[in-house]
Amino acid sequence: MSDGTTHSANPNAENTVNTKRRRFLIGSTTLVGAAGAAGAAVPFVGSWNPSARALAAGAPITIDISRLNSGELLGPMPAWRGQPVYVFLREESTLESLNARTEQLADPDSEEDQQPEYCQNEFRSINPEVMIMVGLCTHLGCAPILNAEVIPQDYDPEWQGGFFCPCHGSMFDLAGRVYSGVPAPDNLVVPPHYYETDSVVVIGLDGENS
Amino acid sequence: MSELENKSPTSDNKNKNGLMAWIDARLPVTKTIEKHMTKYYAPKNFNIWYVFGILATVVLANQLLTGIWLTMHYVPSSEAAFASVEYIMRDVDYGWILRYMHSTGASAFFAVVYLHMFRALMYGSYRKPRELIWIFGMTIFLVLMAEGFMGYVLPWGNMSYWGANVIVSLFGAIPFIGESLMVWVQGDFLISGATLNRFFALHVVALPLVLVFLVFLHLLALHEVGSNNPDGIEIKDNKDEKGIPLDGIPFHPYYSVHDLVAVVVFLFVFCFILFFMPEMGGYFLEYANFTEADNLATPEHIAPVWYFTPFYSMLRAVTYPLFGLDAKFWGLVVMAAAIAILFVMPWLDKSPVKSIRYKGWYSRIALLTFVVSFIILGVLGVWSPTDGRTALAQICTVLYFAYFILMPWYTRKEQTRLPPERVTGRFISIPQLILAWVLFIGLTVLPLMAVAAESEVELEHVEMDLTDTESLQSGARTFINYCMGCHSAEYSRYNRVAADLDIPEELMEEYMIFGEDTAIGDLMVSALSEDLGANAFGIAPPDLTLVARARGTASASGTDWLYGYLMGFYEDNNRPFGVNNKVFANVAMPNVLEGLQGIQHCEDTEHCDHLVHEEGTGTLSEEEFEEVVYDLVNFLYYIGEPSRLDRQRIGGYVLLFLAFFWVFAWLLNREYWKDVDH
Repeated sequence: MSDGTTHSANPNAENTVNTKRRRFLIGSTTLVGAAGAAGAAVPFVGSWNPSARALAAGAPITIDISRLNSGELLGPMPAWRGQPVYVFLREESTLESLNARTEQLADPDSEEDQQPEYCQNEFRSINPEVMIMVGLCTHLGCAPILNAEVIPQDYDPEWQGGFFCPCHGSMFDLAGRVYSGVPAPDNLVVPPHYYETDSVVVIGLDGENS
Repeated sequence: MSELENKSPTSDNKNKNGLMAWIDARLPVTKTIEKHMTKYYAPKNFNIWYVFGILATVVLANQLLTGIWLTMHYVPSSEAAFASVEYIMRDVDYGWILRYMHSTGASAFFAVVYLHMFRALMYGSYRKPRELIWIFGMTIFLVLMAEGFMGYVLPWGNMSYWGANVIVSLFGAIPFIGESLMVWVQGDFLISGATLNRFFALHVVALPLVLVFLVFLHLLALHEVGSNNPDGIEIKDNKDEKGIPLDGIPFHPYYSVHDLVAVVVFLFVFCFILFFMPEMGGYFLEYANFTEADNLATPEHIAPVWYFTPFYSMLRAVTYPLFGLDAKFWGLVVMAAAIAILFVMPWLDKSPVKSIRYKGWYSRIALLTFVVSFIILGVLGVWSPTDGRTALAQICTVLYFAYFILMPWYTRKEQTRLPPERVTGRFISIPQLILAWVLFIGLTVLPLMAVAAESEVELEHVEMDLTDTESLQSGARTFINYCMGCHSAEYSRYNRVAADLDIPEELMEEYMIFGEDTAIGDLMVSALSEDLGANAFGIAPPDLTLVARARGTASASGTDWLYGYLMGFYEDNNRPFGVNNKVFANVAMPNVLEGLQGIQHCEDTEHCDHLVHEEGTGTLSEEEFEEVVYDLVNFLYYIGEPSRLDRQRIGGYVLLFLAFFWVFAWLLNREYWKDVDH
């Protein structure tokens, strides 16, 4: 029907076929039919969206950071939308040296959209001392390992402390910023979050920052 | 290569582009399209009875597609199946459309297949040389029954469960091996998760494969011998010099545009049911199936889905033991024979003509009697049996078989007429058609009326209103404050209720969600654990998410029942909580709303038609209390199917679109057929 050709099985009809009219009717019927098919596809496509259950499971979480020790990640590891959330303290000295080697970073000023606006600053955080980010490498999604101490490493003799991804060797500094020359293209993601009190953080909502 | 191209059978192909020629030399695409579409010559005198084949194909496609999509969310385990269906209905975007498309499609499948089969009986489409088409078709029907049955078990509702129980128990009727066969089929000593899992595998993988393969064979055989037609004559007997049947017309485009019109009309009816009455009054989705499977409690009234009821009736109609074997076994034999006998139709019909148009009055009366008894059996299968109904079912069973068993005799005996050489158009005149319908309906309805009459408790009808947000909010409050102490609404989420009822989430969290660990996105589970509930009341308080749907009956809606129930408590000191109920006798639940309503007395304890309110009891006036109950029932109505309003709204658009599309399809069809002499 949609091929636009006219078949004429009836010998009597051979001369009376109005090809233009047929083409128009075939075209318009096909068009309306295609619109209907597109409409019918909506439930099939739509049903692949995260369901209410998935959305509920991915709802914002509230974490208590009062028992955070410097040099280690907040444990037990909080999970937002099923993803590990890295929360850790940065000493004054760390913050001072954080922007010393920026020429080795791929995106030192956090220009890529990997963090909420209110974290697009030199420390990539609301409270400079507390770093909060999603612990998944921007390369292929492995969880990078925190190595906070400033001691030479196999992968970097001038290691200043940061995250190392064991899967493909990507490196990030203590603000989650990616080094140049590693497979990961972007800085680690900072999730939307806000401070309910000094020690209670809600992850997943911009809250009062918005 | 060039030699292959030169063999191109049509003039069209000369201008074909290189790619098509390249493919055709390797894969018979053009040849297949020609053989089955553009050069498949179908008789040009097809009438409306010839659309049901294509409609069955449309429904098959619908079932395959929606079925695949449902398996993406459905969980085939006895613990999770029921909840996963409600998850599809509520939590999955558009999940309810997919589910209703599939459940409505199941019934539609049988409807079109039954009509398709009736067409074959009427015009003798099973006769030589079309015996194999018929046998493949009958096998499709058989597989479809298995498919329908197993699919019905998957939602794991209580009707699923007990329906499966009844059908599987049939195997137990087979002498000697029955009992062990039953256990083997179930994979357990009762219908259980093991049974559910194997039914799931068969329903979604094995049987669909078989079905599609059989449909392929059915069509292949059809296109080999050519289609029959209402005159029951072979169009291949009259060909022109090119070998094309004089009464034939290419399937494409003539019948493809013709069928398109029919498909759109069918979709209109289909979508009307899907969007406006998906339960179809309890026949497509049975009320009892909105309660989860319970192996200790059979639904009060158990009936298979409508498409099995004729055969189910025959099974029940056999009440006599014979040759030392019990009635249960013979019931199974009769039911199996009722289907098996259809397979040998081609050899039972000895008439010199195929079509009912030229057969004699014996055949016409026999066919009418057959159809009437089949439908009566179907209706009886839905009703619970009484003596009168069983007797009627027995008569109809005999008539059903008489159609087949006497066929060799009456088709030879009767006076037939000589069919024409060439096909003809309309045969039956409009008055004759009307007369036939009147006769058919009269013969079907009158015997049923004689055995009908079933009186139930009269319930006042109360119209619900889902657009009344205030009422729903008030109902939600009452539900959470008075009901959720014991009952859950465990398939519904707080935030969905908040969103649908325009309740701000902060208010919901503050006043309606108890328990510190409960989040707004959680399911509405009562704090009372099931064990505790069972101890306090002797029976665990049931989940109420679906109560408004589950309590429906053929004569009253679930909301009428709920309203009558909540208003119907009266003092009865013989009961553990000091109250009984007019609508639900000896219920285990206390009257939770008594503080509001006050005490009611039943003056005439025999019938309890009228309840009298005791002056000075209860904090609310009668009108205020009625409103509280109305709002609560309205809320339960909402929560039973939260997407109801969306469904109706979307349905309106869909029907509008189909009506619009139909105009195009109709014009296109007219354009092609206007010059065809038929």
